[in-house]
Amino acid sequence: MTPGVASQHHIRARRGYARRKTSNAVMLLLAGLTTALALVPLFWIIGYVILQGGKYIDPSFFTQLPRPLGIAGGGVLNAIEGTVLLVILASAFAIPPGVLAAFYVAYYPNTPLGIAIRFSTDVLSGVPSIVIGLFLYALVVKSQGHFSALAGGIALAILMLPTILRTTEEMLKLVPPALREASLALGAPEWKTSLSVVLPAAANGLITGFLLGLARASGETAPLLFTALGNDNFDFIAQVRSGLASGQNPIKILSGILSQPVDSLPLTLWKYAQQPYPERIHQAWAAALVLMVFVLSINVAARLWIVIRTLRMQG
Amino acid sequence: MVDKSNIPLSVVDKLRKRVGIALRHGDRIWQLLTVGMGVTVLLLILGIGWTLWQESADARSKFGLVFFLPTINASWNPVLDKFQAWPFIYGTLITSAAAILLALPISLGIGIFLSELCPSWLRLPLGWMLELLATIPSVVYGLWGIFVFLPQVVQPIGVVLGRTLGSLPLLGLFFAGPIPASGASSLAASLILTIMIVPTISAVTRDVFLAIPRSQREAALALGATEWETIAQVLVPFGLSGILGAVILGLGRALGETMAVTMVIGNSAGNTLSILRPGYTMSSIIANEFAEAVSPLHSQALIEIGFLLFIITLALNLAARFLVWRVARRAPQETHG
Amino acid sequence: MAIAHTLSQPLAPPPVSIRSAEGLAEIESTEAVRPVKIDIRNLSVFYGKFRAIAGINISIPAHQVTAIIGPSGCGKSTLLRAINRMTDLTPGSHAEGEILLDGENILAPGIDVVQIRQRVGMVFQRPNPFPKSIYDNVAYGPRLYGIHRRTELDEIVEHSLQRAALWDEVKDKLNQSGMALSGGQQQRLCIARALAVEPAVILMDEPASALDPIATLKIEDLMQHLKEEYTIVIVTHNMQQAARVSDYTAFLMIDDQRAGRLVEFGTTNRIFTRPEKKQTEDYVTGRFG
Repeated sequence: MTPGVASQHHIRARRGYARRKTSNAVMLLLAGLTTALALVPLFWIIGYVILQGGKYIDPSFFTQLPRPLGIAGGGVLNAIEGTVLLVILASAFAIPPGVLAAFYVAYYPNTPLGIAIRFSTDVLSGVPSIVIGLFLYALVVKSQGHFSALAGGIALAILMLPTILRTTEEMLKLVPPALREASLALGAPEWKTSLSVVLPAAANGLITGFLLGLARASGETAPLLFTALGNDNFDFIAQVRSGLASGQNPIKILSGILSQPVDSLPLTLWKYAQQPYPERIHQAWAAALVLMVFVLSINVAARLWIVIRTLRMQG
Repeated sequence: MVDKSNIPLSVVDKLRKRVGIALRHGDRIWQLLTVGMGVTVLLLILGIGWTLWQESADARSKFGLVFFLPTINASWNPVLDKFQAWPFIYGTLITSAAAILLALPISLGIGIFLSELCPSWLRLPLGWMLELLATIPSVVYGLWGIFVFLPQVVQPIGVVLGRTLGSLPLLGLFFAGPIPASGASSLAASLILTIMIVPTISAVTRDVFLAIPRSQREAALALGATEWETIAQVLVPFGLSGILGAVILGLGRALGETMAVTMVIGNSAGNTLSILRPGYTMSSIIANEFAEAVSPLHSQALIEIGFLLFIITLALNLAARFLVWRVARRAPQETHG
Repeated sequence: MAIAHTLSQPLAPPPVSIRSAEGLAEIESTEAVRPVKIDIRNLSVFYGKFRAIAGINISIPAHQVTAIIGPSGCGKSTLLRAINRMTDLTPGSHAEGEILLDGENILAPGIDVVQIRQRVGMVFQRPNPFPKSIYDNVAYGPRLYGIHRRTELDEIVEHSLQRAALWDEVKDKLNQSGMALSGGQQQRLCIARALAVEPAVILMDEPASALDPIATLKIEDLMQHLKEEYTIVIVTHNMQQAARVSDYTAFLMIDDQRAGRLVEFGTTNRIFTRPEKKQTEDYVTGRFG
C-alpha cells in the first residue's frame, strides 16, 4: 500500500466516520418522518369529515330540497340531482371526443397533428378550472343569456377530456397489434376493427380512466360558479314527471332541464360554508361527507379494478 | 365457357356491393371523426386563449400594461371602474412561492423514502394514500381549513411567527402581524396549498428516482458511501431535471387552485406584504366577484386576470416539457461506449 | 509527494510465466508461502430459500491476480460480490460461513459494511461513471472521507488516473463529463475512481466484457501492474483472459441443486496444464462451457 496519502486517508476515515454514520441515520429518519407527516392531513380530514358530517346526516338530507333559513330540516336533493345531471352531461361531452381523438393519437403519434394533440392535451390538463369556467361563460352563458346546466356540463367535460384521452391512448397502445391485424385481415374495415375489436380489448383501462376523470369532475366547484351557478329548486325528476304528465314533448322537457341553472354538491358546500347560520354549516359538513365518500369510493373502485385486472391477467 | 357478361347481378350481389361501399365510406367517416376530434382538442386550447383575449379587449385597451404592474396604491375599484390586478398577482405569487418552498423538501423526503428506503410491499399502499390526498375535492379542504386547520394550526403558528420574525429587519415585512383571530391569511392559503401539492411533487420525484439505473447506486456504495451520501450526492444530481419538472407541475397546480384558497385566505387585498395578513389571489377574485360583476368593464378586468392565469400555466407547461426533452436527450449517452 | 510507485518500475517476476517442469515444482513449493489476503471459509450465499453458492473454500493470496471462472450461472458474480457485501443489496439475501479479510471476519454481525467497502473496491461489468466531471468522479471517494483541500485532491486524482493508465489521455480535460469518454476510457475511469479510496483489494466483475479488444488488452495490462500494490480478484467468462492475466484460478460449477461449488483452486498454470479434476479439465479444454 502506498504510504503517506493512504495512511492519511485511513486516519481521517476513522475520525469523520462517526459523523457520517449519524448524518446518515438522521437524514434517513427525516425522510421517513416527512412521509408520515404528509399522511397526517389525509387521516385528519377524512376522520373529521366523517365525524362532523355523520352527526348531521339523515335520510331527509338526500330526499328533500333546501328549506328556507330558519325552518329546520331540508336537504340537498337539488345538489345531488344536479351533480348527477352534470356528471352525465360531462361524460356525454367528454367521452366521444376523448376516445376518438385517442384513436388518432395512438395510431399516428408522430405526425404533426398527433404531436399537436398530445401537446394540447397536456396544456389543457394544466389550465386552471376557473379559467375554463370563464371560457364557457363567454361562449355559452353570454350567448344564451342565462346560466345553465349545459354550460356547466361542458365545462366539466373539458376538465375530464385530458384524462380520458390520455388513458384511452395508453390503453389502445397496449392492445397487441396482432389483434387489430387479424381483424383487418379478415376484411373488416378500420372503423369496425376499432370499435368492435380494439376498443373492447382496451375497455378495462378505459373504465379506470373514466372513473378517475369522473371523480375529479364531480368534485370541481370553480368552473360551475358562473356556468351552472346554483339553483335551490332544482329537481329534474319532479320536472320530468310533471312535464310528462302535462303532455310535453320529451325533447322540450330535456332542453328545459338543460337550460336551467343547477346546483351541485361542491357548489352547495361552497355556498353553505360561507354563511353564518349554524344549520347551513352543519349541512355543509354533511354535504362534504357525501361528496367525499362519493369521490373516494370512485377512486378506490378504480384502483381496485386495476389490481383485480392485473391479478386476473397473471393468474 | 359460359358468357357471364349477360347474366344480371343477383340481388345478394347488389346488396353486398352496396354494403361494401357503405363500409368503405364508414372508414372515411371514421377517419374524419378521429381527425376532427383531434383537431377539436387543439382548437380548444386556441379557443380558450382567443376567447379570453377577445373578451377582455376593452379592459386591455383602457388599462394597458399598468393593469399588471406593482404601482403604489394599486387598487381594484369596481365602484369607480378602475382596476389594477397587482394585489392579486402578489397574493398568488406569495402563496404559491411559500407553498413550493415548504412542499419541496417534504416531497423530496417522501420521494426518497418511497423509492430508496421503504420496503417494497409498503411502496404501493403508501403511494395510493398520497394519491388519495390529491383527490379530496378542493371545497372539502376549504371547509376543513376554515373550521379545523385554521384555528388549531395556522393561527397558533401565525402568532409565533409574528412574534419571532415580525420584528426582524426586511424579513419582518413579510411577517408583520398580527394574524387575524380566525387565522384567515396568506399563510393559511400557503399551508393548505402545500398539503395539496405535496402528493403531486412527491409522486413524480419518486418516479424520477426509480428510473435511475441501479449501476449508479452500486458504484457509489462500492466506494464506501453511506446510503444518504449516495442519495444526496449521486442520485439527486442525476435526477435534478426530473425533480425540477415535478416542482413546475406542483407550481402549476398551486397557481390554479381556487376554492380552498378562497375559503381560507381572507379575501382582502390590503396594502401589505405580510403573509400573516389576509390576502387575495387571482383565482379568488374571479371566483368571488365574477358572477355578480358590477359593470361590463368589471367583468372584462376579471377576464383579463383569467387570461394572465392561462398564459402563466401555458408557460409553465412549456418549461416542463423542455426539461423532459433535455433529460431524454441525455439518457442515450449513458449506453454508448 | 508520497507516491513511490509508478508504472515504469520493474515488476516482481510473476510465478505463472514459467511453464517448464522445474518451474512447476518451484511454483508449487512457493504456493504455500504466499500470504493470504482473503480467506473464504465454507461460504454459502442464499437469496431467500435459494442457495446460490455453497461451501466455498478459497484462500486468495495477497498481491496476486485471482480469477474466478466457470460456466454462466455458476455463481461467480455472487461469490465476488459477497466479498464486499454487495450481495446485501439484494433483498432477502444472507450469507453463511466466514470471509476473513486480513484475519477479520467481514460476515460477522456488527461489522460495518461501509468500512469494508472502503477496503475492498469494485469495478463493474458495464462502466458506470457518475454524471460528473472526470475530476469529480475520481475525487468522489476521497471527498467522502473528508479530504476537501484542493491540493490534496489534485494529487490524489492525478495519481489515481496515472495508476489506471488514463492520466495522459485526460489530463487536459479533467472538467469534461466522465460520460463523454469512450467505453474503455470510462472503465479505466471507474478503476481510477476505485483506486482513489486506497483499497487493499480490487474486485472486478468481468471488467472488459463490454469493451473492444484493444481496450480489453489495456485493462489486462493494467491488472498486472496493479497487483504490485493491490490484491485483485476478477470474474471472467473468458478462459483465455483468465490464463493470460491471472496468477491463481478458482473454477466453479453448479451442483444438482443449482448451487455453485468450488471444483478446484490453484495456480493458473497448474489449473490450465495439469488440472486435478476431470470437470476442470473438460472446461479448460473447451469441451463445454
